[in-house]
Order: sequence, then structure tokens, then C-alpha cells
Amino acid sequence: MEYAIETFSLTKVFADWWGRNRVCAVEDLSLKICYNEIFGLLGPNGSGKTTTIKMLLGLLHPTKGRSVVLGGDATDPKINARIGFLPEESYLYRYLSARETLEFYGRLFKLPSKVRKMRIESLLDMVGLKAVANRTVGTFSKGMARRIGLAQALINDPDLLILDEPTTGLDPIGTRQIKDLIIELAKRGKTILLCSHLLADVEDVCDRIAILYGGKIQSEGKVKELLQRSDKTQITTGHISDMAVERIKQIVSGEQADCVVTSPMDKLETFFIRIVAAAQQQSQPTSGAVSTTQIGNFLTAGESILDKLVSANPAEQKLSAPTDTQPARRADDASSRQVAADKEYQTKPDEQLLSKLTEQSKPVATEPVVTDKNAKAQQLETETDEKEQTRKSILDGLTEDGM
Amino acid sequence: MHSIWAVALNTIKQALRMKIAAVFIVLLVVLLPVMGVSMTGDGTIKGRLQTFISYGFSLTSLLLCLLTIITSVYSVTNDIKQMQIYTVITKPIRRFQFLLGKLLGVILLNVVLLAMFSVVIYTIVIFTPGYFKADNAEIARLNNEFFTARATVIPAEEDVSKEVQKEYDKLKKDGQLPPEVLASKSANDKYMAWLTNQKKLEKRAAAVGHEIVWKFSDVRASEPNQSLFVRFKYDVSVNPPDSQVYGRWFAGDNRQLPYDVYTLDRKDTIRTFYEIEVPSDAVAKDGYLAVGFLNVPLNNTVVIFPPGDGLELLYKTGTFNGNFFRSVLLLLGRLIFLACLGILASTFLSFPVAILLCLVGFFTASISGFVAESFEFLGEGAGIIYNYTVRPVVMLLPQFDKFNPVDYLVPARILDWSLVAEVFGIMICIKALLLLGLALLIFSRKEIAKITI
Repeated sequence: MEYAIETFSLTKVFADWWGRNRVCAVEDLSLKICYNEIFGLLGPNGSGKTTTIKMLLGLLHPTKGRSVVLGGDATDPKINARIGFLPEESYLYRYLSARETLEFYGRLFKLPSKVRKMRIESLLDMVGLKAVANRTVGTFSKGMARRIGLAQALINDPDLLILDEPTTGLDPIGTRQIKDLIIELAKRGKTILLCSHLLADVEDVCDRIAILYGGKIQSEGKVKELLQRSDKTQITTGHISDMAVERIKQIVSGEQADCVVTSPMDKLETFFIRIVAAAQQQSQPTSGAVSTTQIGNFLTAGESILDKLVSANPAEQKLSAPTDTQPARRADDASSRQVAADKEYQTKPDEQLLSKLTEQSKPVATEPVVTDKNAKAQQLETETDEKEQTRKSILDGLTEDGM
Repeated sequence: MHSIWAVALNTIKQALRMKIAAVFIVLLVVLLPVMGVSMTGDGTIKGRLQTFISYGFSLTSLLLCLLTIITSVYSVTNDIKQMQIYTVITKPIRRFQFLLGKLLGVILLNVVLLAMFSVVIYTIVIFTPGYFKADNAEIARLNNEFFTARATVIPAEEDVSKEVQKEYDKLKKDGQLPPEVLASKSANDKYMAWLTNQKKLEKRAAAVGHEIVWKFSDVRASEPNQSLFVRFKYDVSVNPPDSQVYGRWFAGDNRQLPYDVYTLDRKDTIRTFYEIEVPSDAVAKDGYLAVGFLNVPLNNTVVIFPPGDGLELLYKTGTFNGNFFRSVLLLLGRLIFLACLGILASTFLSFPVAILLCLVGFFTASISGFVAESFEFLGEGAGIIYNYTVRPVVMLLPQFDKFNPVDYLVPARILDWSLVAEVFGIMICIKALLLLGLALLIFSRKEIAKITI
């Protein structure tokens, strides 16, 4: 049980109708994926990434070898209940609405009705499809379908998340959100297996990667170790005078090394989000912008909500004006877009931009969430903490139910 | 169970939103009342009712059977082809639960639609007499002959073997037997069978001026003072000019003199069913009843009563409502079988091929009697091949035409619970469950993500 996923010489050969072997999709694959790790499976098209995932999940029978997922066989319902799977195309029923889709998958997980409803609302908020929740999925664009696919992968609060090309079809903002979500989920103890050929996305989030080609692993290891170029050194400074630059150059030449001085490049993603945010903000009323900044500032301050909750003492449930018979209301759309809730990952200014961009102009309603842990946490928070907490509690809602 | 129910709900939603169900529903809801008004039958209200219920039931059965096949096959094959099954089967649901959920969804849909349409048919049938302003006499007649359920007594077949043997021996003595008959045993047997048939037919024929008497014993009506009905059909050797036959009928106890019988003179068209009401006191205390027919000299032809349903005695043993309900249950049995067949076909075939297989199965089952009969005429060699290949398949299919509810509703014959139990027992418990078991087995071993063209 030390590895979340372990494969032993997994092989898949596709034969044609006459039994002749046609395609060796995966050959002798031995992977070890630890718990609480973000693992990236990379490779060009046709290298066997999706086939590997299908074998792990029992959709295909391996020709040779075997795999152990979460200590057992992935076709076992007990193990299945802890896995979330996002296939490479969001294979969803086109005639169901977004809400009905999540309802259906929630039922398959045997979630109690109240928990199911609450999670559905949280997830719709999180993926930003609240407004179109009652439209049939068949009318969605690819990106929107992808988001619903992600939502159904998360509805059971899985321990293991298998994402096959999660960012294809999403715009840069959506991609950013998913990356932040993945990192946040990893922080909460989940294991994530990511399959992609979009290298930039994988580079940002993964701890370890494996590169597949022709069904075989060509390279495997920690991202930092693999990508680090130990033969060079990079120094980044703030604005310094030309004289200082000259002096640095001289020091470096003294070491018999080359020195190249340039201005570092902004990442295109960051630039894009900044421009779009600026454009959006020009049409937003002032009140919306003000509250945004508050959230951004507070969240970059450091301590995550999870830590606060963990250290919270059990307290009486504090029920306020909204009736306690209702499931926790996520009327707070402003917080819905804050997938990028974890500011510890990036303390760059673009984080605030992202939240600015995805915030709606509605003022935030301070309705406390009616679940035990949240209520307990509220006891210890100050007024501003309350506001921030309700907004951030989308993911909390997912992981707290203890179901 | 949760999972099965979730999948079932999803299947129902799919069928309803797929619009094919809507098409069938609209079709039936429009056609049934139109049929109710426009079908005239033989002009009488009873004729209208009989024609309507016959065609209405048959149409409903056909459309619902087609809908069941299409829905059950489409639901599974579409999930596999468009790969939505990947996101479903990787959830904590076992393979058999998935298939059972689909089956349950289809069956529930059938139950609802069947209930809906049977209510429509029933309402039309109940309101037709009032709509066409039937008078009291007609209503009384309808109550006796249509809105009821009656048990059938067929006169016992007389043993003609002695006469056949006598005839055979006489022909042999006179040397009038065809030569090939003496040559081989099988030809001999065929000739004897033919002779037997001829003799039996003679028993059912009355030459001009002659009469036939049928004897029934142990006739007991469920209620006292309940009339009995003699249902008959004439066939003739020579067609009379106006297709009418004159006859004198007797009913009563003919064992003692003076004959304690009722008589009735009537004129009827050939090859049509008629019913004569016999008062209950015509039956003797020990349940004996004799029915006689005299071919009056006004006729110019021999009158024959076809074997089988040429002459029957009917008396009331149940209600129309009960009969109707049981007929609907028979239809449901068919639909359940077809749903299981559809699910089986869709586990290993693509949509078009699966539909084709199910349709072939459906039509074969609908004409299974004819198929079985036609195979009996095969020669020796072909017969062996048939016995080992086609026959097991034909045996596996249910016989829709043998258990056709229309055959019971039109002549108001009782369709009792034992028949329903027999149908459900054989058709569903054995055949349908066999198909379902096979489907579950195939599906459990199937490599879901394997692409088959």
C-alpha cells in the first residue's frame, strides 16, 4: 500500500480480428506513483498515455502484467468510489442538463440527497457553470463540457484523481484555474495522475513526470531534477543601475564563465490574463473592484483555511438567519471563481488579477456555511475572516462532508 | 440498488427526450380515437367494438414492441459507441447493475405507456355504445356477447377409427386402394390420416334434410339463470346464390321423450361467426345439453361446421374488465421479453445489426405458428438439418401468435390466470431470463474500451 498506483510490466497489444498483433500500444510499463503526489504522464500523440489509463481503470484488459490501484483492483466498487476520472473527451450524456449530469453521477456514488445537492451547487460554482446549469450538455462548447467533466470527477471527493488531458479545449483562464485547482487538491492530500502533451501546463504543476514514447518509458523522475541545468546559474534581481550590471559582468568573467544580461520575459499566460482583466475591469462598477482587492490581499497573507480548520476546536454549531434546513447556500458567486485560492503557490501579482478577472460584480453576501466544520471555524474567525472563508469554502465543502 | 435505479431513471429520461417515444405516443393517441370512430366492422355496435379492439390492441402491441426494441438497443449501443459508458462504468457500479438498470428503465417506460394506452382503448370501448346511441336491446346483447368473459366448451371429437378401418378394409377388398399406398408404409400412414380426416369432416357435415347433434356434458354456468351461447360458423360445399343458409337449431335435453328442447329457425350468412343465446334452463340438472342443427330442405348444399371453432358452447365465467386486464398483462410479457432480447443483442453487436436481429426475432415470434407448420412439410433430408439448427432457435422464441390476447377479447372468451401464469412462466421466467443471463455474462467479460468497427 505504499504506492497509490503501481504497475508491473503492463503491456497492451491490440490484435486485429484474425488474431495477428497489430499495435503494441504499451510495452513493459512499470510505474510507481506515490500518495499525495502530482504525477505527469507525458508523450507525443499515440504514445500510449490514454491506453495506460484505460488499463488502470479496467476499461481495457492488459495483455500482460498487472496494475494495483489504491491497493486493489480498479474495477472493485470500493476502490472505484475513491477515484475520480476525467477522460480525454468529456463523455457526457448530451440530453441531460449540467445539474442533472452531476445528479446522476452523484447517485452512482450513493451520495445522500442533501450532500449530493450541496456538492452539485459547489461544483457548479467552482467550474463557473452556475448560469447554464439547466442547459443540456449537448449545447455546451468543448470548454464548458470539459468543466462539467471535471466537476463529475470531483463529485465524490476522490483520493485519486486521474485526468486525461484536462486542459485541452480550455481558454488560458480556465487552464490557470485547473492548474491551481490541481495544486490545491494535492495540498489537501490527494494523489493526481495527469496525462498531457501540453508541456507548459505539466511543468507548472507536476512533482514527478514520466515521458512515454512508443509505449515505453523513456525518462522518469522529479521535474526539478530533470529540468535543472546544473551547468548554469541564473540570478534574478530587481531594477539595478547599469554600473552594478557592469560590475557583475566583471565578476562573472573573472570566473571564466559567460554572462548574458537580459530582462526576464513575462509568461504569455500572465500577460494574457492581465490584459483581459484590464479590459473586463473597465466595464465593472467600482464597488466590485474594491471588494476584489480585499480578497486578493488577504489570501496572499499566508495561512490557508485548511490549517485554521485543522486547529479549530469543536464548537457549537452557529446557525444564522438562513434556515438550517437548507443545504449550504453558495449564493456567493464572487467566491466561485476563486479556484486560485491558494496564494502560497504563487505570490505573483497576477494572482490578484485572476481573481479580479473572475469575480462578479455582486457584493459578497456574508452567509455562513451551514456545516459543522465551517461553523466551528467561524467561531474563531473575525468578521473579515468570515467573509473570506465563505468564499474560499468551495473546496472545503467538497472535502468536509466526511461521507 | 441505488445504482440500478440511477441508471434506470437516466434511461427513461433518454427515451423520453429522444423523441422517438414521443412520436409513437402521438401516433397512438391520434390513431386510437380515429380508429374508434371510423371502424365499422359489420355495422353493428358489437362489430364495431370487436374490430376496434382487435385493431387497437394489435396496433398498440406492434408500436410498443418496436419502441421497446429500439429503446433497449439504442440505449446500450449508444452509450458504448459514444463512450459515455467510460464515465459511468468507472464509477462504483458493477457491470450487471448497469445492464439491469437499463432493463428496468425500459420496462418501467413500457409499463407506463401500456397503462396509458390500455386506458385509452378501454375508455373508447366503454363509451362507444353510448356514442353510437345503442338501444337497450343492443346494450343487453353487448353485455352478453362482448362485455364478458366466457369459457369455451368444444364438442368432444368422436372416435372414428373403427369406421376408418372399416372403410379401408372395404376399399382394399374392392381393389380401389391407390397402388402407391400399398407400396410403402409412410404413404400408407398418410392415406390413413387422410381417410381419418375425411371421416371426421363427415361428422361435422349435414347433408340436406339431415341433422347433426352435439352432446355436451357437465355444463355449469357460474351464475344461475345465466344464458349460454352457441357460437358457430357455416361452411358449404356449394355456394348458395345469396350466401345465406337456412337452418333449424335445437337446444335442450334430448334423452327423454317428449324432447324438452328449444327450437329456432334462422337464416345466416356463410363463413361468418354467429351466436345463439340458449336459456339456462335448457341444460338438464346433471349438466347435460344437446345441441342440434337441421339442414332444412330450403338449402341446396351440404353444410359443414369447420373443425376447431366451427361450433362452440360458451358460458360466462368472468368479467370483461378482468379479461382486459389480463390481456394487457400478456402484452407486458411480450414487451419484457423483447427488452431482454434487445439488451442481449446490444452487448455484442452494433446498433443497426442489433436492431435487425431483434426485428427478425420479433417477426418470427409473431408468425411462429406459421413457421413451425411450414417446417413440418420439409422432406426427410432437410428435416434433419432443420431439427438441429433452426428448430432450437424457433423453440427459444416465444410464440406471440399463440398467446394473442385479441383471440380472447374479440369472441369474449375467458383468458384466465392460469394462461397468464403459463405465458409469464415460460416466456419470461425461462426464455427472457436465459437471454438476460447471457447478456450479463457477455457484458461482464467485455473489454469496454476496445474499438470494434
